[in-house]
Formats: sequence, structure tokens, C-alpha cells
Amino acid sequence: MKEEKIELIKDGKRLDGRGFEDLRPIKIEVGVLKRADGSCYFELGNNKALAAVYGPREKHPRHLQDAKTAVVTYRYNMAPFSVDDRKRPGPDRRSVEVSKVSREALDPVILKEYYPKTAIDVYVELLQSDAGTRTAGINAASIALAAAGIPMRDLVSSVAVGKIDGEVVLDLNAVEDNHGEADMPVAMVARTDAITMLQMDGRFTKDEFERGLKLATKACHEIYELQRTALIEKYSESVGKGEE
Amino acid sequence: MGIEVMADIRKDYVYDLIESGKRVDGRGFRDYREISVERDIINKAEGSALVKIGDTAVLVGVKLEPGTPFSDAPNKGILMTNAELRPGASPDFELGPPNENSVELARVVDRGIRGSEAIDLEKLCIEEGEKVWMTFIDIHPLDNDGNLVDAAALGAIASLLNTRIPNDRYELTGEDTLSIRDTPVAVTMIKIGENILVDPNLYEANAATSKLTVISNADGTISGIQKSGTDGLKEEEIAEMVELGIEKAGEIRKKYLGDIEA
Amino acid sequence: MYKVVVPGDFISDEVNRAGEGTYVDEGKVYAMHYGIVNDKGEINVVALSGKYVPTNGDIVIGKIVEISFPYWIVDIASPYEARLHNSEFAGTMREKIEFGDMNKYLDLGDLIVAKVLNVDALMRVDLAMKDEFKIGDRGRLIEISHTKVPRVIGRSGSMIKMLKEKCNCFIFIAKNGRIWIKGREADMNLALQVVLIISNEAHTSGLTDRVAHFLDSFKKNREGDRE
Repeated sequence: MKEEKIELIKDGKRLDGRGFEDLRPIKIEVGVLKRADGSCYFELGNNKALAAVYGPREKHPRHLQDAKTAVVTYRYNMAPFSVDDRKRPGPDRRSVEVSKVSREALDPVILKEYYPKTAIDVYVELLQSDAGTRTAGINAASIALAAAGIPMRDLVSSVAVGKIDGEVVLDLNAVEDNHGEADMPVAMVARTDAITMLQMDGRFTKDEFERGLKLATKACHEIYELQRTALIEKYSESVGKGEE
Repeated sequence: MGIEVMADIRKDYVYDLIESGKRVDGRGFRDYREISVERDIINKAEGSALVKIGDTAVLVGVKLEPGTPFSDAPNKGILMTNAELRPGASPDFELGPPNENSVELARVVDRGIRGSEAIDLEKLCIEEGEKVWMTFIDIHPLDNDGNLVDAAALGAIASLLNTRIPNDRYELTGEDTLSIRDTPVAVTMIKIGENILVDPNLYEANAATSKLTVISNADGTISGIQKSGTDGLKEEEIAEMVELGIEKAGEIRKKYLGDIEA
Repeated sequence: MYKVVVPGDFISDEVNRAGEGTYVDEGKVYAMHYGIVNDKGEINVVALSGKYVPTNGDIVIGKIVEISFPYWIVDIASPYEARLHNSEFAGTMREKIEFGDMNKYLDLGDLIVAKVLNVDALMRVDLAMKDEFKIGDRGRLIEISHTKVPRVIGRSGSMIKMLKEKCNCFIFIAKNGRIWIKGREADMNLALQVVLIISNEAHTSGLTDRVAHFLDSFKKNREGDRE
């Protein structure tokens, strides 16, 4: 199959009908796994991400413990069936890098000093993927950490911006990502506007970059509200059950 | 334990020094250490460069060999970038499979080259769907005194700029030089306290809580960004770093890549 | 009413009232847990879940998981394992426990009630056994989140008092969320059921009344069955 030029914007709309600054539909469920200390299922358009948090628990092997703080690990993994061409199972270079930057996106908000010598393990599984997977994973993981009772300063919210047909747009799907000119995943703390993850590939002018970052900031605030609401509603739901 | 304690003491020292407006080695906050680029030093490689930034030394080698194209890009050559943090380059590097630091290093350099489209991959097609040139960029740090990524990225583009295509070895005909269309340059900055510093040495890198690498091209566009480290950055700080990154990249390009026409 | 917060939620400007489960940033009090705000006196955020971290003086229920002379290694439902020195065994006992004999006193899987003697900077946890509480096989042990222990106890012990009376059971609640129940089979089952209700609805209002109602209706039913 030869790469063809695809028109990604028609009459001011994107192929899936969205405007330039629209997020894909988001669905959040908190506490979906029984065994995990905290968990969250997060849908972003066609992405289905599942985050499980274990810990704080004893860190093994011991020489990897930190006497002063908990050690956070983050494993991002794409299920073999999550993409068109089956993905070979196990970590590849991309998932190693995604895991690193995702961990660093969350690290600033976790109050690790409350649990010295322990491990906080975050496992993010992409069951279905359609671009923006790392952002869906971070959003899910942030909620799962809170649900696990991990002391945190804030939640972290994440979204990508990119460039398609010369326009800066929010939250690329896979077709847009494959045929677009640039992609920039961002994670931030909505309360303080601190940016905790920033990556970019493709090509942006300085002006496009700045507009993109502003767009991502605005969207992260929207996502933050959804994350917060999901947690609050999860609580009311369990209270509701209790009242019956 | 001893090493950790020393590292903590150094961290405080570096931090205090920077707060008082100075750097460990006396540079200005926006100055690079001395840079040198030596090209073509490995004659077995199709392209190579040894880049030194202060005491940091990175050797980059480029090899080309014919291979099968990816099915979704039958008329394009293949670019692969790899980095190995060999234990000889630092007591912190250990033998073993690539870890997240080596993977990140390779992928950030790769992203800069790819995003800028510096290599015209279509020109590396030998026979559509059958045979294309695979270009391997191998990053080999020799001495790590901080900021491997800028040295590696500079080494990669410097090597590519005078990479020969080994047609003879494989009994092929075609252009003998790799055509390079742009010159992406990486500039890494850290934040310590409220200060932004360019080209962190190892002490500074260890004292910093966040780091941003900006890769920019000859026309001032950006072809790669990577934030790392465990602290957040504000939008204004990032804007300042991007601006500074583009400016510094321009200086480096002119001085070290300028003699070759991009 | 209960106010639910998530990490980073603004709670108050009264920095001097900031208590457990909160942090202060630039003169404002924020939540550091997903939990419930407790605004009486100090401002606290009670987490809805989380792992137990031992502090000196806590009474815990532990399980022997390893013998490493002269220590028993004890699981205390925490990320931190505890240890019990053999000289701490059974307080007043003066005979010396020899290497190889430790399992005769406490074997793997045995449960103990113990007091946290000391937690050092490296999070090593030393225990002293409260011999009068050595748990045998009799009774039931259940584990709930330690964050819910205060609710099972109730305000100044009201909930646990009611439970003990109405279920006619011995109930011991340890700080680490483990609860030991002892009594007649049917009574134990009832107590267990109620503890789980409390645990699941720990942060809802009117809980004590609901539990009382549940216990009363249960008793009535049972008496009705007998008639």
C-alpha cells in the first residue's frame, strides 16, 4: 500500500466531524478492578485505556528501595490486538519511552515521602488504541492513583495537539496522526498550570507551537473537570447504594 | 551510600551557586561549554562524527545497507537510530539491555531527524517495494559529563551531512552522497530554582528537577521537543526555553554545520 | 453533610487549621487525598482508601510469615513488615528461646495481637506481643481498610459498643484494619456482616442509626423464626 495524501479537513470540519478545538468523547469509570488498590477505565474516542495501581507495597528487590521515598514505576503496554497490525507482545522502545515520560508526568504530584522504601506500581493497558494513547493512559492513571488512596498534591490531566492540513488542532485520532504534520502530547496540573509532560514530533513553527500549547492547556482544564467529577460521582454512587 | 551523600552535597552547592548567579564552571547561564565537531574519523563507517561539549564526548556512526522496505512505505528508505550507554562512559551506566535513558536518547535524536525530514527517504529507494537503503545512526557516548542528547543530535546531523552511500560494496549504482535537506540542532535547557540554564553539565543536570530539549531547524521551525525530569514547567518558562533553544541552535548550526551547505 | 474532595481541591484559607490529609500551598489549604473533609476543629481529609503505616503505640493484628532467628517476621497489612524479637515473646516469660525452637512458640501463619514498639527512620518496625491477646484458631479474622477503623469504633466507641452488645460477641479492632471476632457461630456471622456493612458505607451519614436498625430487624426476624 502506497502512502497517499489524504484530505483531513473538509469545510472546516475534521473527518470525524469535529471542529479544530474539539476533544473526542470521553468516558471514565473509577474502581473497575477488584484486586488493584486503585483503578480506572478511560475512553478517549476509540482509545480504551485501563489503569491499575498497586501499592504502596514492599519494593523488591530491596536494593531498588529508596530510604526516603516511595519508588514509582509506570508500565505502559499496548495489547497485541489493540491496533490494526498485531503488535508483538512485550515492551518495545516506544513503550519504554512512553512509560518514562508518563511516570515523569505523574511524579511531581505524588507525595512519595509518605511511604519511604515502598513501591507504587502503575500498570496502564491500552486495550484499543487510536492515537493519543499515552494521554488517555496518564488521565486514567491519575484517577487510579487517587482512588488507591495515594497522597497527591493534584490530579494530572493530559491531551495531545497536532497539526493537520496546516491547521493546529486538538486531540488527533490515528488517521490524523498518521497523515498529519505534527503531534504534541502534553500533561499538566490544571490547578497550577504546571506542565509535567511535553513532547513533540513532526514540524511546528514557533507560533504554531505556542497556539498548540494554549489549546492543550484549555483542553486539560476540561479533562480535569471530567476526572474530578468521575471521582466524586464514584463516591456518591457508593453512598447511594448504602442508603438503599 | 558515600556516593549518594556526595551527590547530595554537590546538589546543594550547585543550587546555591546558581542562585547567586554563577555556574560551577564559570559560564553564563546561556552559554554552552566549548564545542568541537570532528567529522569522518571512522573510515569503516559511511559517516561519523565525534562531538565534544566540554568533557562530554559522543561518537556517532552512520552505516547504510540494503534492506526490505516497510510495507506501508514501499518507496522509502528506513531510518533507525540507536544509542548504547556503554559502561565505559560513566560509572552510572551498566551493562544490559537498553534502559529507558538510552531509549529516550535515541528516540529524541531520531525524532529531530525525522521531524525535520533532513533525510529525503524517498531518495533512498533502490527498487520500490523490494530494496531500499536502511540508514542506521548509532550513538556511542564515550564520556558522560552531562547533556548527551545535544552532543548526540549534533553528532548525528554532522555525520549525515557527509555520509557516503556505499553503492560499490553492494554492487549498486546511484548517487554516492546522502542528500540532506535540513540541519536539526538540539538544545537542552534545565531549570534550577527560577533560573534557566543552557547545556547542563552532569552536576547541574543532577541538581535540576526538569529539563527540556528543543530541536529546531534552519528555518526556525521546531522538529522535536522532549521534557524530562520530575517537576512541572510553566507555559511562560517553556515559551522562553523554546525561544532560547531556537536562538542557540542557530548559533551552533552556523558555527559547526555551516561549512556544509544544507 | 459530607464534602467529598479529590487531591488538589481547595478547602480553606485557614492555614492554622490544616490537619491530616491536607497540605498548604501559598497560604491555602488543599486536599492531598480523595476523601471526606472533616471540618471540626482541625481540617482533615479522611482518605477513602490507602495503606496502613505503623506508628509507635499502635495495636495491630499480625501474621507470622517468616522465622529469622532471633526474630519472627510479621505481616501487619502494611507495606512495611514488622519483626518480633524472641525476647519480646509473651512479655513476662523468662525462658530463653533457642535457635530452631522458635516455631514451637509461634509458627508460620499464627496470628498475634501486638503493640508497635518502635518504627525507626528506615521504617523497621519492632513489635511487642500482648500475650493476653494471642489469637488461637477460635474466632474469625476479617480485614478492612485501616481508613475505616474509626467508623467501626464509632464516636467515643458507640458503634463498637452497640455491636458487641447486640451481637453478643467479643470483637477486637486493631489499628491496621484487622478485626478479630469471637463468639457463637451465628453471632459471629452477624457481627461479620455488620462490620462489612460499616466498612462499605463507612463515610455515609446516619450510619450508626442504620446499623442499629439492621441489627434490630435481624434479631426480630431471628426471634420470629424461633416462634
